[in-house]
Amino acid sequence: MRDVAIIGASTTQFGRAQWSLLKLMAEAAHGAITNADLGGRKIDAVYVANMGSARNNRQAGIASALVDRMNLYPAAADTVENGPASGASAVKNGFLAVASGMCDLVLVAGGERMREVNNIEATEFVSFLSHRYAEYIYGITLPALAGMFARLWMNKYGVTSEHLAMVAIKNHSNAMLNPNAHIKMPITMEGILHSPDAEMNNPYIAEPLRFFDCCPVSDGAAAVLLAPAEMAGEFTKKPVIISGFGQATDTQAVHERPDPTVLTAVQIAARKAFDMAGLKPRDISLAELHDAFTILEIAQSEQVGFFPEGTGHIALEKGETQIAGKLPINTSGGLKAKGHPVGATGVSQIVELVFQLRGEAGKRQVKNPKHGFALNFGGFGNNVVATILTKGA
Amino acid sequence: MEHTVNAAKCMKCGKITYPTHFYCPACGSTDFGAVAVEGEGTLLTFTRAYTLPLDYEDLYLTLGIVEMDQGIRATGQLDIDEPATGIRVLASVGPVRDVDGRTVYGLKFRAV
Ligand SMILES: [Zn+2]
Repeated sequence: MRDVAIIGASTTQFGRAQWSLLKLMAEAAHGAITNADLGGRKIDAVYVANMGSARNNRQAGIASALVDRMNLYPAAADTVENGPASGASAVKNGFLAVASGMCDLVLVAGGERMREVNNIEATEFVSFLSHRYAEYIYGITLPALAGMFARLWMNKYGVTSEHLAMVAIKNHSNAMLNPNAHIKMPITMEGILHSPDAEMNNPYIAEPLRFFDCCPVSDGAAAVLLAPAEMAGEFTKKPVIISGFGQATDTQAVHERPDPTVLTAVQIAARKAFDMAGLKPRDISLAELHDAFTILEIAQSEQVGFFPEGTGHIALEKGETQIAGKLPINTSGGLKAKGHPVGATGVSQIVELVFQLRGEAGKRQVKNPKHGFALNFGGFGNNVVATILTKGA
Repeated sequence: MEHTVNAAKCMKCGKITYPTHFYCPACGSTDFGAVAVEGEGTLLTFTRAYTLPLDYEDLYLTLGIVEMDQGIRATGQLDIDEPATGIRVLASVGPVRDVDGRTVYGLKFRAV
């Protein structure tokens, strides 16, 4: 197996897009391609991460459509759909194509245009991820699953609404430093929880989760360009190595898990990624976690191995996960504030780690990072991909 | 017409699973019989969800996960004004959603 490097990375502005889905993905892909110096070399294969183009944007076969829109024929093209973890799954497939020796230059682009439909349609479309007969028919949504999970977690570990708000406040504040983030709005504990207007500013979405505990509905795209590590020096001065990945699945119906607070697929995916990279959680300089709901950042920060069980909220309270802290989490603003265009998310987490490892993260730059960790969480944790990136020599 | 929600009972080892899987999680058998999800249980967790998918006109839905005395867990709608974790509930089957103009029946729980 060959080592694989990321030689180009790019993202569009997240938010409400004026462009079509294909134009969004083409702009991100063009950014990643021109980020490297390809010297006229052609791209061998394209992997596209997307969940809803056929339903929301009237475009099926999105990978073939992107190759056509860009004019990258005759590159091989495949769409990768793994719900909200489509992005990391697509990067994984690109990695395998290069590592196996089958391809040299592989483009991975993730994108979603969710705001082409209204919010109810978007909620409905994402709720298709739940179990059709044991969850969906009851009106279960992803926020509802997260609410039931949050209640269990908060009761078990003494996590409060203030802790959840701390995640939102931190990630909103990080997003203020990220020009491509969807939400650029500073929030305070007073404003979202304690002021007389808090009830109105921050209503319940799925108790105990409130509006500011949930990610927005976003449009956006992100892309990376992969090459064999041994050739990376021809294309870029700052290669970033994909040093580990791991993936695991779990029951689709959340109620069927022996302990619904234990995210087994998160634990297994992370362990596999650390084993492959030959690293321990303490070696990681920064992480992008899948904070579609604030409670998930706390839960994942423990279950991937950064903090002991029941102490994620304490590390958060102490500021350890802030940009200047011991382990910065979601420097990009996370799904919470950078935004969550479903197919783009996993790729954009990796793009943020690339920017950080190259020292190009501007005002949110972490000091001298060496290894970055990303967790992309599909469904409600029934298909999870962990990726570790390492700064190239 | 009487509606039921069925779990699967493994004909080889007796394990009940809900929802059903092709292979028994305990013994790998593919031979199952239907057994109704019914009776009492204990409320494990719940939420009042205000952002609802298509086809609901309600202001909110109360949804929960129940640990059934049958030894399985089930997700369903709660007809309970003030739910609390740990309370005892009773399962029944009733209309839970309209999908494409058709009424879908499923589990509804009330306090006992
Ligand atoms: Zn069996």
